[in-house]
Amino acid sequence: MDPMTFICISQLVHGLAYGMLLFLIAAGLSMIFGMMDILNLAHAYIFMLAAYIGYTLAGLTNFWIALLLAPIAVAVIGMLIERYMLRKIHRFGHIPELVLTIGIGLILVEFVKWGWGTQSLMLQAPEVLSGLISIGPFRYPIYRVFIIGFTIAVMIFMLLLFYKTRFGTIVRAATADSDMVNALGINVLIIYTLFFGFGTWLAGLAGVVVAPFLSVFPGLADQVGFGAFVVVVLGGLGSMSGAFLAAILIGLLNSFGIQFFPTIAPLLTFGLMAIVLTIKPTGLLGERQ
Amino acid sequence: MFTKRKNKLFNLFCIISIAAAFALVPLTGTAQEVDSAFDPSEMSDMTGFDPNKSIEVEGPTIKLGYLQIMSGPAAGNGELFLPVVRWVAHDINKRGGIMVDGEKKKIEIFIGDTQGKPAATKKATERLCLEKEVDVLWGTSGSHLAKVIADVAEEYKVPFMNCLSLSDELMNEKNFNRYTFRTLSNTTQWNMAMAYYFSNRPETKFSILCQDYLYGHSMANAFKKYLEKYKPEAEIVSEDYHKLWLKDFAPYLTKVMAANPEILYTADWLPDGDNLIKQARRMGLNMPIANIYITNPESLKSVGVEGTKNMIFCYSWMSGDTPQTKAQQKLMKEWHEQWKNWESPYDTLLYIWPDFVLGQTIGDTYWLFDVIERAGTLDAEKIIEVWEGDVYKSIQGIRTMRADDHQAVFDMYVGEATYPTKDVYDDVPYSKGYAGVHEVNTIPQKYCTPTVPEGLKGRVD
Repeated sequence: MDPMTFICISQLVHGLAYGMLLFLIAAGLSMIFGMMDILNLAHAYIFMLAAYIGYTLAGLTNFWIALLLAPIAVAVIGMLIERYMLRKIHRFGHIPELVLTIGIGLILVEFVKWGWGTQSLMLQAPEVLSGLISIGPFRYPIYRVFIIGFTIAVMIFMLLLFYKTRFGTIVRAATADSDMVNALGINVLIIYTLFFGFGTWLAGLAGVVVAPFLSVFPGLADQVGFGAFVVVVLGGLGSMSGAFLAAILIGLLNSFGIQFFPTIAPLLTFGLMAIVLTIKPTGLLGERQ
Repeated sequence: MFTKRKNKLFNLFCIISIAAAFALVPLTGTAQEVDSAFDPSEMSDMTGFDPNKSIEVEGPTIKLGYLQIMSGPAAGNGELFLPVVRWVAHDINKRGGIMVDGEKKKIEIFIGDTQGKPAATKKATERLCLEKEVDVLWGTSGSHLAKVIADVAEEYKVPFMNCLSLSDELMNEKNFNRYTFRTLSNTTQWNMAMAYYFSNRPETKFSILCQDYLYGHSMANAFKKYLEKYKPEAEIVSEDYHKLWLKDFAPYLTKVMAANPEILYTADWLPDGDNLIKQARRMGLNMPIANIYITNPESLKSVGVEGTKNMIFCYSWMSGDTPQTKAQQKLMKEWHEQWKNWESPYDTLLYIWPDFVLGQTIGDTYWLFDVIERAGTLDAEKIIEVWEGDVYKSIQGIRTMRADDHQAVFDMYVGEATYPTKDVYDDVPYSKGYAGVHEVNTIPQKYCTPTVPEGLKGRVD
């Protein structure tokens, strides 16, 4: 295999892995906005909080327990936020929501600084996910393969949950016509709370999975939050499949851009976003509201 | 006969006088004078020192304005250096303070939050100068912020010790002011030292991967320039600049691997530096990584012994596990003993040893107070007079404050991490779980000292 083919295949896999990572971070944000019409800017901060909780739990137990419990912990926090804060202001529109969720985010930053300090913390990947895997001439980090596989597993889980379970049917019905679902005797408000908790649970999963990949520090939310928001906007606000497509496109554009157009690589994502939004203001797969 | 004897006596007297004059020159200050008020053997009993506790003193004080990022995502910078100024203040205060203006004064610390923003920095510096009436300013992370502090320091005539911002431009003809002194090595010093170090190593193929803003480019350019000077046969096989706070280094690292260098050079600071080393080692990129800021033990531990082996560090302070001076060893040991009792956030590995930037800033802070002690007054003009051209025996090596451009010059230190390290602190190994520097290479000052900017040459007679 000639070196250029080798490099191109490597960059392709890097792009996929990075895209999957972006999608994992953005999935909950996109879902909450798409189905509940809530622009939750605290999403990235909840993601950060999960990384910190995961760090502590992994230290006390192991990575897998942390991956199980940290998302549940932030899901509970998410449900409390929805129940006691967001629900009260939702009817006033997006601006109060933005202000509130940014405020929650800032509180969470101060909270992690108070609880864990301001220095970078390192969560070790478990031994089984360390090292390299060899496929023919390729040697690839196992943890990156894990990220790809884990994100695919999460997507399948989400599809099954929303299209093959009663809970999913109710959620979809509630987002389409909440009054009708309410009239059928289903408490829509509880469904909303559970659904918001599910969205923050996804942020929690992303937080723990990303922790061994990046440093855990109070700027983590800022480091990933903007990227997640770009994925959601480019994919189309609320469109899960759009978010997935956008994340993969950004991932590939990033890796091939760095390889072939390094000086303008950081601009390529924004160039793509500008072009897409100019041609189709609702994003790649977003629908007109 | 008497005349001959008289002549002999006269000649002897002349010889003795000349010899005495030469012997006394270092004491009279007419030649290179080495001064040091901080004698580590006289360091106070530091038992009970708590970096979380603010320094409380009564009576007349020397007011130090500590300017750092204390809030927001980068607040770690402010947190990091508080133990440094508090340590020095605690020590000096326990020794009774410093004799200035006819009385012993203790050190009081006032904190100014720069928030990492120029506007907030200006406000915080002005507040310290006008409201708190501080005598000296101490800071800061970020050359753009240091510039703001320097401007305010000049306006209110308060000496400012810049021990953390390294951009060359800060002390050039355009930005120089009499009130600012830089004790940290600048971009050029750093890269001269690194390049000189590589001139004595066999590797010739280098890759550069730095952050894509002024600092990253300045560092890379200086490295290339001095590599060409000290090692003309060296070749840069790849050169890339990544955005700040990058999440995924893999595409860059693939390019590096394809270029097949023998050394990867980076000047990344955190969190990029941490993420770079983690992701590089995870991708199987095991070549030596020459760096400046990837010194956080937490980060090093995360890539383990094998991952940190052959990392190359360069700094103006480096003890490794073999401190260069007795003073350094004393400080290291004393600090480490106290660290065992510290509480969050200072109970982490980051603070386990006062090495690299911690050691450098501790040494610099002692230098600042040493100058004040020798000035014998808090008068800014007198402090400037003493500090300009000062040759100071610091905890690690001799430091000279160039009178013309107020840039400190000194030997630099470079070392490659090896493992296991020598256990020099009784039963406490220097590094646990990662490779540490055992052999510290001193790069003599003459190989890592840039010239004074043209417009400042001869500024002080």
